[in-house]
Amino acid sequence: MNVANLFASFRSALGDGYLEDRTIERTVGTVETGTVYDLWIVVERDRLHDAVAHLCEAYDPHLSVISGDDLGETLALNYHFTVGWGARYGEATVTLRTVLPKSDLTVPTITDLLPGAQTSEREKIEFLGVDVVGIPDDRNIFLPEDMTIHPWRKDLEEETAKEVKRMVKWEGRHGHE
Amino acid sequence: MGMNNQSINLEIGQCAATTYSVPVGPVHPALKEPIRFSFNLDGERIVGVDIKPGFAHRGIEYMGMKRNLIQALYLSERICGICSISHPLAFTQAVENAAGIEVPPRAQYIRTIIGELERIHSHLLWAGVGAHELGFDTLLHLTWNVREKTMDLLEQLTGNRVDYAIPIFSGVRRDIPEEKTHLAYEAIDYYRGLLQQMIDAYLHDKSVELRTRNVGVLTYDQAVELCAAGPTTRASGVKKDVRQDMPYLAYADMAIEAITPEAFGTEPIGDVYDNIIVRLLEVAQAIDIIEYCLENMPSGELMSIPKVPALLAALKKASGEGIGRHEAPRGEVFHYVRLEEGVEEAVAWKVKAPTYSNLMSWVPKFLGDEIADVPIIAASIDPCMCCMDRAHFADAQGNTSVRMKQELVRLSREKTRRICG
Repeated sequence: MNVANLFASFRSALGDGYLEDRTIERTVGTVETGTVYDLWIVVERDRLHDAVAHLCEAYDPHLSVISGDDLGETLALNYHFTVGWGARYGEATVTLRTVLPKSDLTVPTITDLLPGAQTSEREKIEFLGVDVVGIPDDRNIFLPEDMTIHPWRKDLEEETAKEVKRMVKWEGRHGHE
Repeated sequence: MGMNNQSINLEIGQCAATTYSVPVGPVHPALKEPIRFSFNLDGERIVGVDIKPGFAHRGIEYMGMKRNLIQALYLSERICGICSISHPLAFTQAVENAAGIEVPPRAQYIRTIIGELERIHSHLLWAGVGAHELGFDTLLHLTWNVREKTMDLLEQLTGNRVDYAIPIFSGVRRDIPEEKTHLAYEAIDYYRGLLQQMIDAYLHDKSVELRTRNVGVLTYDQAVELCAAGPTTRASGVKKDVRQDMPYLAYADMAIEAITPEAFGTEPIGDVYDNIIVRLLEVAQAIDIIEYCLENMPSGELMSIPKVPALLAALKKASGEGIGRHEAPRGEVFHYVRLEEGVEEAVAWKVKAPTYSNLMSWVPKFLGDEIADVPIIAASIDPCMCCMDRAHFADAQGNTSVRMKQELVRLSREKTRRICG
């Protein structure tokens, strides 16, 4: 994995939309040692789709998952990709991170580039209240169909606690009938 | 084709022109875990499917972010009863990477051995379920009997058949002492002796082949673009395996290769038969890995921070982000954590289980196949919110009916009998 080339190609593809990068290098193995890399690139929200398009063009990426991280005023989305699979020590994780203000939690879908991203995008809609623009199916996937709370949002903890309490009470009552 | 029209019409008649969505209850006595499929049918052909998981969602990440990391470790072990070391392996690695904690070599080998034992029992469990769905209960009982050897060994080595409580941040909680290694070697010999028999029973059986060849196909391109993982993607010829691609633990000391149907000498099709090939050959691979680990087990300590209060203090001081990955029996398990200094809990925790990645690959696998193939195709990805508790069918006119799982298994078995005359 040529880390410098990967970063450089992203930088030229994204221009100002490329905010920063970080490399975490780890040594593995107890007899013969090798090096593996976790790579992080922070991109502007407006260039996220371009960044994924570049990834799909230059590599054959696998999306592991999209994780969300509530930072208070903002919400970070981490698109955890892996690239270079198929060979021993060939793979590295590439995480594209974008930070959204709580007042505007919209992000473009990447399902047009990588259809496998749909499950993860639907999960972010229901659990974090993110608006994924252009997703072909935005129904709740893991939460009940009619549930509207966003359990992973730290600013909405009160609402979540209220809803959980209501559900527990409801289930308890019916359970004893 | 066609022999079950009568019963379909009868059921549609009963629920005439009523389209309804059934929130399937989370528990059914016959099943491990719930999920709902809504199929669109043209005759007996599946022309559309909608999948609704989530009936067993317990909010583990939410709970984990409210507990200190060691408490969350116990929780991670209970994400899955079969992958009960895979999640802790990924979680401990994520936290260790975030906090910069080293794991002693002996602990890495012990983690690997238990991880591979889990692969053996998980794949054998799957093979048995597959045989059952096809109606070969003799093979189910044979396979699960054989699986018991691994369960016994896990109990002898760790004290538990499931939830082995082996990994902890900075190492492992229990040693595999020298006097117990003969038990593991016995299991290795036992499985080596049986392997050819298992391959004959599954892969050289005409009726298994007739029911699984070209059924539930996931092509190479579909596997890649749907981001499938584990044996599901390898059966389609995608050479993707975390143990090979981005080595970790003792896997970094071995030259591990991703197993695809090519290892059996056939071109990958991505059907149910290829899924059997991959999983059976991975049992053989797991045996080799365990043997290597036993023979080359490094000596030394089990934890780099052996005292739990010191460990908790070190974790509380740590700050940073970490990714932990493990090739679980069903595919890649991925954990992301972010730690903040002065906070005992993980401030962010995301868990990705293999079935999460393989969920969407069910759609192309089902399309074009028959209702009677539903059980074996559903089982082919080795789903973790496994088994259908009910399937919700809609015919091409939009009429719906609800089928119980027993009914589907009956259809599947009748198809086997029909094929085998």
